[in-house]
Amino acid sequence: MTKKNYISAAICLAVSVAIMIVTSMNFLAARDVPLPEKGPSVTEVKMLSDWFDGLKGTNGDTPVYVLKGEKEGGAALVLGGTHANEVSGYMSAFTFIENAVVEQGTVYVIPYTNHSAMTHNDPGEGNLQYFTLQTKSGERTFRYGSRATNPVDQWPDPDVYIHYPSGQQLSGSETRNINRAYPGRPDGNLTEKMAYGVAELIRAENVGITFDLHEASPEYPVINATVAHQNAMNIASEGCINLLLGGINMALEQSPTNFHGLTHRELGDYTDTMAFLMETANASQGRLRGATTVEQVLGGKDECYLISEGLGMLYVPWDENGHPIEERCGRHLQGIYEYVTAYNNANPDSAIVYSGVPGYSELFLEADPSELGGARLGSFLL
Amino acid sequence: MIKKISALLLAVAMVASLAACGGDKKPAASNGGASASAAGEVAGLTEAFAESPILVTSGGQSADYQMIGTVMGKLGMDYEINNLATSADLGDAKTLIVVVGGSSKGLGAAGIDADGELARLEELMAGAKDAGLSIIAMHTGGEARRGDLSDKFITPVFEKADYAIVVSAGDEDGLMSGICAGAGIPMDVIGSISDVTTVLPAAFK
Repeated sequence: MTKKNYISAAICLAVSVAIMIVTSMNFLAARDVPLPEKGPSVTEVKMLSDWFDGLKGTNGDTPVYVLKGEKEGGAALVLGGTHANEVSGYMSAFTFIENAVVEQGTVYVIPYTNHSAMTHNDPGEGNLQYFTLQTKSGERTFRYGSRATNPVDQWPDPDVYIHYPSGQQLSGSETRNINRAYPGRPDGNLTEKMAYGVAELIRAENVGITFDLHEASPEYPVINATVAHQNAMNIASEGCINLLLGGINMALEQSPTNFHGLTHRELGDYTDTMAFLMETANASQGRLRGATTVEQVLGGKDECYLISEGLGMLYVPWDENGHPIEERCGRHLQGIYEYVTAYNNANPDSAIVYSGVPGYSELFLEADPSELGGARLGSFLL
Repeated sequence: MIKKISALLLAVAMVASLAACGGDKKPAASNGGASASAAGEVAGLTEAFAESPILVTSGGQSADYQMIGTVMGKLGMDYEINNLATSADLGDAKTLIVVVGGSSKGLGAAGIDADGELARLEELMAGAKDAGLSIIAMHTGGEARRGDLSDKFITPVFEKADYAIVVSAGDEDGLMSGICAGAGIPMDVIGSISDVTTVLPAAFK
């Protein structure tokens, strides 16, 4: 080998090592997940393993923010980050934790229900890893995760995922989707253990009403919608009417009895909670979208969806204003408020009363257009 | 060069097929293309005609029937809800309200498929007609409750109704107003489901 070849080889090796170091740091940094600041009613931050110790020491263990009012009442649970790429879900949880003043009862909020899914993303989808918002305390960084449990924590996927206990068969990759894993089992895989932990929390704390916050691609028929367990339909109907009166176009669906593993089905069947799932429209999730950008994720704008709307391919109205994060979080937070209010009307002895959380008006309707796409939401974060 | 031209032609063909898959979001009215303007203007209800007790059912198993039940409860109306009612469940009801809106999740929850739901509705409405009940058709889910699944239930329900209440966003193509105008069925158009409170009580003696 000539001297020239040695130099070339050394340069290539050095570049490879540099790339390896940078990507390794990036990979390991994904495990550092930013947490909410403690709002005025946060009395305790527990871990899901406090309800199911099978999660202790795993990447499936996740913080549970406890917001306890001075007056005794019922209990509610808010699940953000079931799918860690559905931004309005966990950002609504952050906003609730950092703003809510709970006067009666207890609200448990899990910002990252699938904590493992927040520690990676889907690079094949061209997804973001991070985005930032200007908040009251300055610039804060937030993660953009994946729909499913990190394969580093649970691998390999089977060819066919068989849901416990129904025996329902789904694609093998769904074995890492926590919203196909409920009610979970203590001796199952990590995703099933996480689901079991949530169900155990609900059972132990007598959680009367549970919200699972999601987003959907504009091509998906169940969008701008609430799905509720049949036991919750009376409350869902009343809450939905109040949302409509407030100018929020919300469809209501009853949870199918033959589709298993989802919160609105299994938490209703295997616990005493009233289970709700809400969906908003996320421009960064669908197949018809353009390049994934921060503007698309937070601003909710996408040129390709404008074309798709013209072709009649979408299930949600679309124009050049898109669906900014403030509208999406506003829908979730207003939905929680209206359904809790309806729950309180039906269950005055176990009421949950809170204030201070910005709703659809504060986040979206009252915002200047220039504030939409993250600035307005950031102004409510600590 | 030939390869480049072939690739270009293939790409054009793929784009053309993608556009062909789209089509109009709202299919043409299935009642022979009748519309309000073609069949004449639809008229609102002018006098009360219905009586209690009321049986409320779904036409397509969307949750809209439950929301109507909630509204009627707030109005203090005398009603029962049975989303899977057949003619055997009519009992002493004097009015049947069918809230139309298709939902695949709702059909799944009810354990019935679209064809079974259609057959149930046809049997129920025939039974109601035979028993002399008044029939009120409602479509309150707006644009979200239009499309192939929902439209399957609209025509058979609306053309047998004595009165119809429709949220305007669901009838932008004039399907329901066309049916009602063509058949002389009074129909009131409202802005949202909550406006049911302004028109439904007026239908009852």
